[in-house]
Amino acid sequence: MADEFVFEFLHMEIVSYFEKQTEEDDNLIISKLEQMGCRVGQSLSERFTRDSPRFGSELDIIKFICKEFWVGTFKKQVDNLRTNHLGVYVILDSRFKLLTHMSAGDQYLESAPKYLAYTCGLVRGALASFGINSVVTAEVSSMPSCKFQIMIPKT
Amino acid sequence: MTIYNMYIFDRNGTCLFYQEWQRNKSSGMPQEEEFKLMYGLIFSIKSFVSRMSPVDFKDGFTNFNTNFYKLHFFEPPSGLKFVLNTSLNVESLRESLQYTYNSIYVEYVVKNPLCSLNAPIKSELFKEKLDTYIRGLPAF
Repeated sequence: MADEFVFEFLHMEIVSYFEKQTEEDDNLIISKLEQMGCRVGQSLSERFTRDSPRFGSELDIIKFICKEFWVGTFKKQVDNLRTNHLGVYVILDSRFKLLTHMSAGDQYLESAPKYLAYTCGLVRGALASFGINSVVTAEVSSMPSCKFQIMIPKT
Repeated sequence: MTIYNMYIFDRNGTCLFYQEWQRNKSSGMPQEEEFKLMYGLIFSIKSFVSRMSPVDFKDGFTNFNTNFYKLHFFEPPSGLKFVLNTSLNVESLRESLQYTYNSIYVEYVVKNPLCSLNAPIKSELFKEKLDTYIRGLPAF
């Protein structure tokens, strides 16, 4: 059943609500959306992993994010994962769910970060529930493909 | 068989979108006026037909022919009006207009957070998808 649009419309309205609340500051909007996503991400990852065994390594956790977590939220898998093995992972999604209906190239590029903030928070929250502190950022050069960069500081 | 142009109006009469593929004769008036004229005509014909029809009908006004072109009309429940002008030998394009609404307008305008609903459509993606679809129709 195509219930994805229910969340998509809600997400569109959430972003536009925050835009109306904090008129000029894009960064404030992005950080609020990200915090929202963080809390949701924590609960989502608990729910998705309730039947699976413990993860062996950090890489396994990231792979879980790219597969089950992404499929659960966006009904598709991530297209590419790269890492430098020093705590930096880059997730590439070439047809990101929340951007496909917006444009297929350059139009609306400046507004794209707001629509990615919630998802960054989602990933950060999911990692946090496994005990991993991270910083997640997103960049988009050509819609609808986008990259999420996860930085895990080595302690 | 060819498709000349297409208009999309919202329920208040604002023209949200206009695209032409082949137009040999212009109407000689500014675009704003032309849109208002087209909308006024469609609105009047629709209500005329529903009042004066001698038999019960299901869909009401769907298309009209002149000596030189055929105008197809489709209106989904939300009040949006799709108008398509084609050459005379084309049969009813109602399903195509319905597809345009379902799979192109809803997907690329309604689902686009940056397109407000009662304003002219600026999304390039919508234009592109619509263009590809129309050019792919057998009637083109």
